[in-house]
Amino acid sequence: MNAGFLLVAAPATPLVLLLAGLLVPPLRRHLPDFLAQAPVPALVAAFLAMGNASVDGETLLLGMALRLDFPGAVLLGFCALLWITCGAFASTYIRGSADRERFSVFWLLTLSGNLGVFIAADIISFYLAFGLVSLPAYGLVVHDGTDRSRRAGLFYLVLAVLGETCLLLGLMLMASGADSLLISDAVGAIPSLPYRDLTLGLLVAGFGLKAGLFPLHVWLPMAHPAAPTPASAVLSGAIIKAGIIGLIKFLPLGTGLPEWSLVLTTAGLFTAYFGVLMGVTQSHPKAVLAYSSLSQMGLVITLLASGLVAAGVSAGDVGADHGADGIAQVAAFYAVHHGLAKGALFLAVGVVGATGAARIGPVLAVTAVIALGVAGLPLTGGALAKLELKGPLGGGLVETLVAWSAVGTALLMLHFLRRLRMAASADAAARPSPGLSLPWGATVLAAALVPWGLYAAAGSHDLAYAVKPGNLWALTWPILLAGILGWSLRRIRLPSVPEGDIVEPIARLLEPVRSVRLPPLPGVPSIVEAVGRAAAGIVVAAEAPVRPFPAAGLALLAVAAIMAFALAG
Amino acid sequence: MPGVVWGPDVGSGLLALAVVLPVAGALLILPLGRHAERVPHLLFMAGLVLATAIAYHVWIGGVLTAAIGGWPAPLGIVLRADGLSAVMLLTTALVLVPVGIFAAGEFQPRTADGRESRAGLLFWPLMMGVWAGLNGTFLSNDLFNIYVALELLTLAAVPLVTLEGKAGTLAAALRYLLFALLGSLLYMLGAALLYGTHGTLDLTLLADRVRDDASALIAAALMTAGLLAKTAMFPLHLWLPPAHGGAPAAASAILSALVVKASFYLVVRLWFDLFPSLLDDTGATVLGLFGAAAILSGSVLALRQARLKLLVAYSTLAQLGYLFLMFPLAGGGTEAQPWTAGAWSGGIFHAVSHAFAKASLFLGAGILVQGIGHDRIADLRGAARSLPMVIAAFGLSGLSLMGLPPSGGFIAKWLLLTTAMASGRWGWAVVMFAGGLLAATYVFRVLNRAMATPEQPLRLVQPVHQSRQLAVLFLALVSVLLGLVPAIPFELLQIGGGLSTVEGFR
Amino acid sequence: MTGMLPLLILSTSLVPAVVIFFLPEAATRVRAAVNLIGALAKLPLVGLILDGVAAGEQYELRYTLVPGLDFLLRIDALSLLFLSLSAFLWLLTTLYALAYLRDGANQSRFFGFFSLCVAATTGIAMSGSLITFFLFYELLTLSTWPLVAHRGDARSIASGSHYLAYTLAGSTALLLGIVWLEGQVGPVEFAAQTGIAGADPNTLRWIFLLMVGGLGVKAALFPLHSWLPAAMVAPAPVSALLHAVAVVKAGAFGIVRVVYDVFGIGLVTDLGLGVPLAAVASFTIIYGSLRALNQSDIKRRLAYSTVSQVSYIILGTGLAGPTAMIGGLVHLIHQGLMKVTLFFCAGALAETLHIYRIQEVDGCGRRMPVTMLAFSICAVGMIGLPPVAGFVSKWYLGTGAIEAGQIWVLFVLAGSSVLNALYFLPILYRTWFRPATGTWREPLTPLPAAKVWGLVSPAVATAVASLASGLLAAAQPFSPLGWATLIVTRDYGP
Repeated sequence: MNAGFLLVAAPATPLVLLLAGLLVPPLRRHLPDFLAQAPVPALVAAFLAMGNASVDGETLLLGMALRLDFPGAVLLGFCALLWITCGAFASTYIRGSADRERFSVFWLLTLSGNLGVFIAADIISFYLAFGLVSLPAYGLVVHDGTDRSRRAGLFYLVLAVLGETCLLLGLMLMASGADSLLISDAVGAIPSLPYRDLTLGLLVAGFGLKAGLFPLHVWLPMAHPAAPTPASAVLSGAIIKAGIIGLIKFLPLGTGLPEWSLVLTTAGLFTAYFGVLMGVTQSHPKAVLAYSSLSQMGLVITLLASGLVAAGVSAGDVGADHGADGIAQVAAFYAVHHGLAKGALFLAVGVVGATGAARIGPVLAVTAVIALGVAGLPLTGGALAKLELKGPLGGGLVETLVAWSAVGTALLMLHFLRRLRMAASADAAARPSPGLSLPWGATVLAAALVPWGLYAAAGSHDLAYAVKPGNLWALTWPILLAGILGWSLRRIRLPSVPEGDIVEPIARLLEPVRSVRLPPLPGVPSIVEAVGRAAAGIVVAAEAPVRPFPAAGLALLAVAAIMAFALAG
Repeated sequence: MPGVVWGPDVGSGLLALAVVLPVAGALLILPLGRHAERVPHLLFMAGLVLATAIAYHVWIGGVLTAAIGGWPAPLGIVLRADGLSAVMLLTTALVLVPVGIFAAGEFQPRTADGRESRAGLLFWPLMMGVWAGLNGTFLSNDLFNIYVALELLTLAAVPLVTLEGKAGTLAAALRYLLFALLGSLLYMLGAALLYGTHGTLDLTLLADRVRDDASALIAAALMTAGLLAKTAMFPLHLWLPPAHGGAPAAASAILSALVVKASFYLVVRLWFDLFPSLLDDTGATVLGLFGAAAILSGSVLALRQARLKLLVAYSTLAQLGYLFLMFPLAGGGTEAQPWTAGAWSGGIFHAVSHAFAKASLFLGAGILVQGIGHDRIADLRGAARSLPMVIAAFGLSGLSLMGLPPSGGFIAKWLLLTTAMASGRWGWAVVMFAGGLLAATYVFRVLNRAMATPEQPLRLVQPVHQSRQLAVLFLALVSVLLGLVPAIPFELLQIGGGLSTVEGFR
Repeated sequence: MTGMLPLLILSTSLVPAVVIFFLPEAATRVRAAVNLIGALAKLPLVGLILDGVAAGEQYELRYTLVPGLDFLLRIDALSLLFLSLSAFLWLLTTLYALAYLRDGANQSRFFGFFSLCVAATTGIAMSGSLITFFLFYELLTLSTWPLVAHRGDARSIASGSHYLAYTLAGSTALLLGIVWLEGQVGPVEFAAQTGIAGADPNTLRWIFLLMVGGLGVKAALFPLHSWLPAAMVAPAPVSALLHAVAVVKAGAFGIVRVVYDVFGIGLVTDLGLGVPLAAVASFTIIYGSLRALNQSDIKRRLAYSTVSQVSYIILGTGLAGPTAMIGGLVHLIHQGLMKVTLFFCAGALAETLHIYRIQEVDGCGRRMPVTMLAFSICAVGMIGLPPVAGFVSKWYLGTGAIEAGQIWVLFVLAGSSVLNALYFLPILYRTWFRPATGTWREPLTPLPAAKVWGLVSPAVATAVASLASGLLAAAQPFSPLGWATLIVTRDYGP
């Protein structure tokens, strides 16, 4: 099984399953049971086809090219893993619902797009994969058909379409500068483009919207909670990473774009803190998690922005290779941990929702570890991610702000745990079915072990570095501080902000636009009709004098006279 | 017929036969009375064969001449057939055959119970008279002989209008007679003036002798005015619609398609053969202006008619206008644009394709009157369903009126248009376009009604025999065929045409 | 042999037309056979010529009507683009129409004019000179009028005359333009670059305006477009044939011929006519989409979408530069494939569930899954998302616009994509996500299987074709994009 075949099999398997399901009706009824198996080839591909696999389909689209580099492989692997566990969870979760066939169709489409995004190497296939991962996800968001999910779905779709369009324009501008459609060539041509800032603006808008960068984030806190639990886990864990891989691939990291770096850093940091601020006001545990994803992605974008500061090596301390691909590796690593952890937390909400209040103890404990891990609890995957993050940021204001954001995240996680405890199922004796708890357990294990494995394999320091006392303290003080703050502020009633925060006022503003009606154009034939009738009247009037008989006789002589004069003249 | 010198070859003998055949036919049918069912159709078929033979001879041998009685020009009467006359002869014969088949249904010499009917008896001799007049006009090369043919034509055509004795047709026929006679009178005055000054009536001889003096100009003016009256050109068009609208279908087909064209043919002969040297642009422009006025007024009035036959009659006025646009556009500037085949052929093409289209329209209207009992346009709803072939023929002939491809009308319009645009006189082109659009309006007004599905299906008052519908369709198809295969008639037309037909006036 | 092929192709549609006109109404089986034989006979011929032209063969038939007026059929790569589209879609539309009008009235008249209409389209594709183009352009008007007015009720007749008023005025303008040009420079043929650059620029601008105005009526350019939505009262196969294949494309194809073959893109840009043409097309794109937004009747919404989509072709033609030209040309096929599917599905909805308005579409995804899947694929394609064909043409138009330095075109394309999403996605949303509201009126006796197959299989075929021409776009040279590139690089290359 050569690497090339695997590379194609990864995004193609879900589509093949889908096609089979559509064509063979009996298979369509069992489609939900195959959700877990669909991403397996992608997982295998991630390991085997690490960096040397490339496939070129000359006739497909405009010359499809598939490549797998290190960050792509890492993200592909973790995504496949997450989709497998969430797929298993989803199979049991939606067994009861009526539209499970429709759910699985959209699930498979989004899965195929998500896997394709990491391996597409030419602009067109990337755009196809990106489209596949954003638009069909609508089907997952509006699955349960409540008004809340329909409204969330509407905002999701509108913004997804706007994002797609911005991305398309950016890609067009980029492609016109480059001589081939390969992403690597096109990105190299960006700095020298005549419309460089417009192109970068459009690309950042397209990917930022996907990754929840402020102010394009509004759909995320509405859509993620509205979706059924496995879908929210996948939305927050894997689909959001499409925006990150987009930025990794398309931002000209390592070239000097100081003003863009500044813009992205401020936006990233603002999103990080804004997410925390809004998160703590939310009551629904899934909404809290959604805002936490928002803020974590803000951090990753800040990291990526640091890559744009100056040409060549960024200002970070020497040692770790902080060139363009170094930053990409760190971003990928951070994204992997966040994805797995967030997936586990969302599934936990599902599991807790299915267990009685008495039995949620152990689940709560495990979730607490994972949650605080996101905030950087030492010895967890999160700690490693936070350490890696510090490397390229290179001291100064940015690094301190990033460090303090850990406090915010910890606070947010504590708030989440408190909300989670109250979300237990009403029937005290309820026990979660193994179909739910096993996939959750697997995700927790993955969230714990995979970062360590990755760190050992490709981390910038050795394992010992993670347990150095200096680093340990750097990781624990934010959590302690958050604990103290959280305990002392627990009495204060925070104002409850509706999900999607700034979207309410904007929606009210846009309301009149929906009802605009273009006035019908006055039909051109009606004008012609009027002109015609007027002209006809004139002609008939002109002809009338000849009508009476004697006048006709006279006309004969007149004609003879006219002819004589004309000929003589 | 002793004494007919057979001229250089059998061709010239055919010319004489072409004039004699219809006259003999008329004389033969009258005594036979009710036993003469088959005779007219045989004669018409023979006429067609004869016209084709003449055309063939002109095609290979060039201009044919026949001096009757062996007397040469100044004394004797000479019959001459060049390309133009051959085409007109062929058109006449080709129109008469289907009209004959169509009329057979309506004008039986013997009615069902064996008695003779007046209309049935008189229709065929009068048709023969018209045919004789037409052939005479197209072949005569002598001014007086033309006058004789014209008079025969008028005297045979006028009774056709009132053949069915309907109330309004008598007044219309008398008005037509008055205009025709006044026209002939003016024509006669002009001919006499020419004869007085030059001593001969033969066209070829006159063409050499005519000088640019007062008598020739006055003669030309009088003759043109007279012929305009007979062609119902714009200021003198009063008599045509009631006459052609009221006449029986077969008669109005012949009147509109051919009779009116005879006097137009003579105006062409006068201007292009007799007086080319002394006529200039102002005269031609006046004729063109009359034509333009006819196009606009004819089309607009056609739009406002309630009855189909009157609509078709007014459309004749409009289409005649196109013919007279030929004069201002003829020649002029063609050496700069050698590819413009000239407005002269365009005009004649239009005359020929209009003949077929108009005959088909009138016969179609006749079938409608017979089939559904009336020809009120507003109540034609469902006609396309019950009389599909007639409405299809109406559509195809409409193409020629509108000048849309693939009809003969389009070729004619294209020839006139390119000449107009090539010589920079785009004014006439605009008139032609306006005419085309107006024609489209009234043709589709009728087709719209016919296409509409009625509440309850339209039942035919009287079944219409298949052969009559086929006759109508045949005429429409010929007008379309003229558009598809115009090369042959075009070549035939150029034979014997004078220099002026290409170069126009000085 | 090379002279006979064009005539043979033309007769595969003309002969059935004439035969069908004389068939009695009851002879349904014979009529269907004649129709299908004509359509099936045409495909291999077109295939034969595709091979030939790809290899550089010349197919030409010249016949002089009157000196200065030559009837010239010449098949070059550009004509094959339109010819193959009309041949392929005619076969499917015939199948669809046979099923759709199964027990309708006036079938002989319908199918007679139907074949005549396709003969005219074939003629337009194969015409080698301006006047031959006009002959078939006119025949197209006359043969489509009875199709629009086919039902014969007041609305159809009114929309028929509305259609005629526009198209006849348009063809008058076109003829005036042609005659004016030929008056100046003599007969104009497409391949031979006549010396029209010598004529005085202002007259050329007027002639260009007249010609593009005349052709713009059929290409539904703003403000000459209002006949298109009005003609929606015609039966579905007619709307499919009119809007996706014959009439609308003839106008666009005409403008492509006028810009590239009569004037030449160089002269058009020198005369400063390229950008205004692109501007008018862009305005029509946005205007068409905006009007489509507030149409509640499905076919009227599709009609306005056609008004906007056809202007993509003209936008590509207006922008100088090979990439934009490829984009415009390839959209001629892509829009045809996608739009004909949408109309087939709209027709199928009307016939099976009597659904005519968008509000009634709720939940029909479950009732007619295959049809609505085809509809969804092509709706996504119209929005311009890969892998369906619409994306490819939008991509080439965008990059072509940048190459030509007209950045504003990008925002027109973006705006149009968003607007397309705004008026197509709600339909998809209602189809797949809303429960059925029971407004459907199923026919008493369920539709016969043959009719269901006849309605659904053409729609699926064209949907698959749209998907394939998008997915396998780069398959040289027989994919639509491949052929368009061949046209531009070989015949109009710099």
